[in-house]
Amino acid sequence: MSSVSKWGNLAQYDWSVMSPEFIILGVATLLSLLDLFMNKKADRRILAWIGFLGIIVAGYFVVRNTGQNVVSILNDMYRVDGFANAFKLLFLSGVAFVFLISLTYIDESKNIRYSGEYYYLILTALLGAMLMASSSDLITLFVGLELLSISSYILVGTRKQHIHSNESAFKYVISGGIASAITLYGMSFIYGLTGSTNLYVIAERLSSVFYDGFDFLVYFSFFLMFVGFAFKISVVPYHMWAPDVYQGAPTPIAAFLSVVSKAAGFAIVLRVFLISFGSLVSFDMETGQQGSVLVNTLSVYIAIVAAASMIIGNTLAMRQVNIKRMMAYSGIAQAGYLLVPFATLTVLMFEQTMFYLVAYLFANMGAFAIIMLVNRDQKTEDLKSFAGLYHRAPWMAIAMTFFLLSLAGLPITAGFFGKFYIFMSAIVHSSYWLAGIMLATSVVSYYYYFGVIRQMYMRPGKTEAPLKVPASIGLVVLIALVGTVAAGIMPDPVMQYIHHKFPLQQMFQPGGQ
Amino acid sequence: MATVYMNNYLIVAIFLFLGILLPVGALTLARFLRPSNPTEEKRKTYESGVEPVGSSWVQFNVKYYIFALLFVVFDVETVFLYPWAVAYDSLGLFALVEMVIFIVLLVIGLIYAWKKKVLEWN
Amino acid sequence: MSIPVTSYLLVALILFCIGLYGALTKRNAVIVLLSIELMLNAVNINLVAFAKYGMFPNISGQIFSLFTITVAAAEAAVGLAILISLYRNRNTVQVDEMDLMKR
Repeated sequence: MSSVSKWGNLAQYDWSVMSPEFIILGVATLLSLLDLFMNKKADRRILAWIGFLGIIVAGYFVVRNTGQNVVSILNDMYRVDGFANAFKLLFLSGVAFVFLISLTYIDESKNIRYSGEYYYLILTALLGAMLMASSSDLITLFVGLELLSISSYILVGTRKQHIHSNESAFKYVISGGIASAITLYGMSFIYGLTGSTNLYVIAERLSSVFYDGFDFLVYFSFFLMFVGFAFKISVVPYHMWAPDVYQGAPTPIAAFLSVVSKAAGFAIVLRVFLISFGSLVSFDMETGQQGSVLVNTLSVYIAIVAAASMIIGNTLAMRQVNIKRMMAYSGIAQAGYLLVPFATLTVLMFEQTMFYLVAYLFANMGAFAIIMLVNRDQKTEDLKSFAGLYHRAPWMAIAMTFFLLSLAGLPITAGFFGKFYIFMSAIVHSSYWLAGIMLATSVVSYYYYFGVIRQMYMRPGKTEAPLKVPASIGLVVLIALVGTVAAGIMPDPVMQYIHHKFPLQQMFQPGGQ
Repeated sequence: MATVYMNNYLIVAIFLFLGILLPVGALTLARFLRPSNPTEEKRKTYESGVEPVGSSWVQFNVKYYIFALLFVVFDVETVFLYPWAVAYDSLGLFALVEMVIFIVLLVIGLIYAWKKKVLEWN
Repeated sequence: MSIPVTSYLLVALILFCIGLYGALTKRNAVIVLLSIELMLNAVNINLVAFAKYGMFPNISGQIFSLFTITVAAAEAAVGLAILISLYRNRNTVQVDEMDLMKR
């Protein structure tokens, strides 16, 4: 017997491409053991730094994987392609920001009693998100989704003594449980129709099934899966959990949910629907013409979902007095904007989505860092806690202004070009009604974003004392500010970089054997 | 073929019918035959047992729940050992290594429970 | 020949609808969690039925249902743990009393 056959066929795969995931898993395991055997009173910050280091190393390996050819393991259960690498870098940088914000958030006040668990649960959630980005098999995608979800349920409830935190965690578990059951129900029909959980095999067989009179079941499973995934990206049929959960969650975790978890949701939506439904064509009996089902039929529904999210998110955000609830509604609206490229499906769909996600990452992380700082100082999450911020910490107020402008989509910020590209895609697709709703709701959103700006500059605060800015928060705000402005001044290099380094076409090359 | 299946369903229907008829018939018959003379003692839940006190809706110690959780960790996860054991010969040593990693992660769960003093009952 | 696949699907559909109805309407949080389990078990019935009588019968449906069972157990455990910590602070398991965060 040769050595290969002794180790079995599994050993023939190139497992080294999985090193980012292995590192995150290893660091999470290490942290859990360290946390158990450390002195109970000892400072847990060292764990955060170990975790941070792990994220950086994992990021290095992801960068090393970019620009390579497609590598597929276990019949596409795990694959490395441009799509996966782009999303993984987004997740890793998002979680790095969350770690830096948490360093200040978890202090001596014992708001989170088990801070060791807090750190390694973020890492397991990150691991789930990374699996969601780089798998083409329904089973693995589902396991990744649930790893992310279950870790986030606990993270939302980590302030064990805090009633709001308990309540929001429970609401999150219930809505998440229902959502994953609905997703699975849809997946089970897809499996039944095609007999496979591999997305490429599904794509191959779905067309023939579609003609054999099962088109109703194909649509049915699409809608079930979409509703389930809508929970993760918090768009309209399944958005009502977001405000309550963001309000009760620790602020860094709210930032995590609004950026990393949402981006992971978009990763799974794009991966599943583009591969398995992308090649599905319908045949018109009367005209004899063939047309893509995704482009002709389903995109209309996605556009309606996007429009409804924009309208509901932006109008309800105006009524909020709690800043975290306001950010939650704003996040619902942003998810609506992010669905527009998927509904219009132009050639630059992936680049537009990625650019918007990057802009959203910087703006939201920066904003949440400042929100955390101000709320902790004022001991309230009210919008009024921002009153007079300009006189207390001028740089923070200016940075916050940029983040809010970026979220609102005004010039010299990344958010402007993010919205601009998306707007153009709607025009190119000649969905003028969608473009119109985008414009109108953006104008509505100025109202509440400028409400915060008004508080910072024009309202007198309760105190004039300078706000002390810890180094880690300063770093987050600085990086986010540089990113927001740089991508806002030079959007083209960013788009080019995404286009060349993370080619979307790789996603459609099956790597199975 | 189809008639055979129809017959099978017929048998099921007969069984169902008999299954409902017999207990209902027996109880109804007994009702007419027996004398009816309820007293206070006879109405109790356990005629000659311990007096029932309070509501049957009592709270259980939360410890039971934690033991149930441990059960989940070590019982449900074993499900994955069976398919691996069945296909052991064809999977090779690499799968053995993977399974060892899997079990090590489960053992970490046990260590967690042990350090959190879940295994002690007091 | 045997019982057609549609009967399994019908059972699963009924179970799923009961679960969804329970999850959306019941007041007791434990029953809500149980209803979610019903929905997940409906999925398991679907998967196992398709693994035997689907368009392309094969084993992966059963494997999928193993993962579903495991994940459902983990989710229920976490849900109950969160419910207990909520109960310690609030002293209630009624879902309609969890309304501290309206606006």
